[in-house]
Amino acid sequence: MAKKVVNVVKLQIPAGKASPAPPVGPALGQAQVNIMGFCKEFNARTADQAGMIIPVVISVYEDRSFTFVTKTPPAAILLKKAAGVETGSGEPNTKKVATVTRDQVREIAETKQQDLNAADVEAAMRMVEGTARSMGFVVED
Amino acid sequence: MKWNEVSVHTTNEAVEAVSNILIEMGSGGVAIENIQDFLNLPDDGFGEIKVVNEADVEKGVRVKAYYPETLFLNELLPEIKHRINDLQYVGLSIEPNEIQVNEVEEENWATAWKKYYHPQHITRFLTVAPQWETYEPMIEGEKVIRLDPGLAFGTGTHPTTRLSMQALETYIRENDTILDVGTGSGVLSIASKALGAGEVYAFDLDEVAVRSAKENVKLNVYAQDVHVAANDLLKGISTEADLIVANILAEIILPLIPDAWRLVKTNGYFITSGIIESKKDRVQQALNQQGFEILQILQMKDWFAIVAQKPEED
Repeated sequence: MAKKVVNVVKLQIPAGKASPAPPVGPALGQAQVNIMGFCKEFNARTADQAGMIIPVVISVYEDRSFTFVTKTPPAAILLKKAAGVETGSGEPNTKKVATVTRDQVREIAETKQQDLNAADVEAAMRMVEGTARSMGFVVED
Repeated sequence: MKWNEVSVHTTNEAVEAVSNILIEMGSGGVAIENIQDFLNLPDDGFGEIKVVNEADVEKGVRVKAYYPETLFLNELLPEIKHRINDLQYVGLSIEPNEIQVNEVEEENWATAWKKYYHPQHITRFLTVAPQWETYEPMIEGEKVIRLDPGLAFGTGTHPTTRLSMQALETYIRENDTILDVGTGSGVLSIASKALGAGEVYAFDLDEVAVRSAKENVKLNVYAQDVHVAANDLLKGISTEADLIVANILAEIILPLIPDAWRLVKTNGYFITSGIIESKKDRVQQALNQQGFEILQILQMKDWFAIVAQKPEED
């Protein structure tokens, strides 16, 4: 069908657990799309990733119909996985909780480069490395 | 119940770190408004046009998180501000770094969107009504198409869909065999049945559209026998038709023309819609080159539909 994309909504929400509560309700309500339809479809597609936060990009068309694609988990989740920790540090400047290698940062940056809207891998690495440090992770060479 | 919306105006570079902080502080997810996501939207392969709003380009990046009012914002907010502020010390630029808090009333988000959908008179005899509305035909011969709008294009409100339905109403004859290429929500196949068509075949490349079309077909008693299947345009199809309708985009209509010619019966019609002005001549030319005769060009706003016929051989 002929489709003009008029709006793009990006969310990071728990896999398999989308509901009309915020952030889904206000974000999609503003775009005037079928919220329950989205939740049903998103939950079906991501049920096997339960426990993860999943980024999802929803394209809204002129007639308020929509489509969406799910992305690889956020950089923070991939970093926690790489470092083998459950949570980051609440005081990242003083309390370091984990270490990741530059190779791991590069790998995550390569996976996420497009999702991060980064011009190149170096820009994506800067974002991933900054995110790592903001969680109290040490990045080693 | 009320929610506190914490909206952080930041940079693309800091989105991941800011989102993580907001989620770690107890938000059940975040909404990200970032024009880069729009501009970098990959082509979905089903024919999309992007309409970029200049105002959105200037708005920058906003990450929004929501905390129920039961979480004490006076304690939460300084911590959020502090952690986001610290991002500048880990090599991320965060300017303008403005943080706003808005109170959001709990609404019935699950059903609020429905207020935008009402029965719509599309042609003299065709009305599209959302599944939940009790709507009875108002004139003799009026047919109601029930739809659950949402997950596939074709809610009946768009000019390309309306033009297609107008053309169908003019050209369909009792018991005609119809091929609907790029069916989306299935609205044109259902409309064909409402207009008296016999066998109707609906195809879409997108699995979500196929599922959505199947569900919409079920909502309409008279359209139960519409055949819905996943298929790439008309590739591999051998069913001959009295009428083929394709509400797609010009770029996708062009490669479809030879297959449409192969499958449409002599004196049968090929209705194409979803064409913008700058592409109209090219589609028309390609149809002519294939041997089709152009019968009618319909226009609504900036969209065109072309009705072509396969003439008898001389």
